[in-house]
Amino acid sequence: MPRRKPASSRSGGRREQRHKDVLHGQGQHRSQPFRCVGCRLDVPGSAPGTAHRNHCPNCLASLHVDRRVPGDRAASCRGRMEALSMSVRPDGEWLIVHHCLSCGALSANRIAGDDNALALMRLALRPLRDSKVAGSALLAL
Amino acid sequence: MSSNHAQPSNPDNSLKIDTFTCVWCGLTVSTLAADGRRRNHCPSCLHSRHVLDQAEGGPSECRSRMTPISIAVLRNGDWMVIHRCVRCDTLTSNPVCTDDNQLILMRMAVRPLAQPPFPLEAFGDL
Repeated sequence: MPRRKPASSRSGGRREQRHKDVLHGQGQHRSQPFRCVGCRLDVPGSAPGTAHRNHCPNCLASLHVDRRVPGDRAASCRGRMEALSMSVRPDGEWLIVHHCLSCGALSANRIAGDDNALALMRLALRPLRDSKVAGSALLAL
Repeated sequence: MSSNHAQPSNPDNSLKIDTFTCVWCGLTVSTLAADGRRRNHCPSCLHSRHVLDQAEGGPSECRSRMTPISIAVLRNGDWMVIHRCVRCDTLTSNPVCTDDNQLILMRMAVRPLAQPPFPLEAFGDL
């Protein structure tokens, strides 16, 4: 479901994504299924639209195992990461901002093609759910 | 973000008159907000500066610009602005000030709905 626009139509100002050579061609972590820490769903390792599945497609929970490069397994925290908010790239692709419940670190991850659309929508609408804050913001305009 | 001259040891006097210049829009902003808290982003364009290390809490050597990328909501309903450093890609979250630009806040909050990755018509059947 995440849209990958052709390279010509992508916005030119954005920096290219950092080159990732860790574990990519060796087929190690990419094909490793895992069990979600939040909803205990058995998740297959391969995901449509991304080479690095890093969160549960059902409840969007993740695990704090990678540091900077996806798949490096360099973080010693191993805490549970909850989806905190939804961000959008300049080219329109959605990013989930994850928040580690144990060390407080934040990380942004692209959504995958089989992510739960209802969970994504709930996350994107979270700032608008409380009508008090959003209403006062609109009135102040 | 906050200026070089701020002295945390003497918050009463130095902070009241202390200002910093926004690295994005150039607005001169007082370091102390109206409710007595210390500002960490420009109230006009919400851009910040990477001067605090989020992990260790000390000063950061990056000192680059941080752009606001999304709005997070705490359990008590308060809004937080998520900033991303344009140089080192660090993410930080900061509470929203009362005099922050509401237009930019609302624009960030509804930005995901402008380009949904799936058709929203399916949600009408739920």
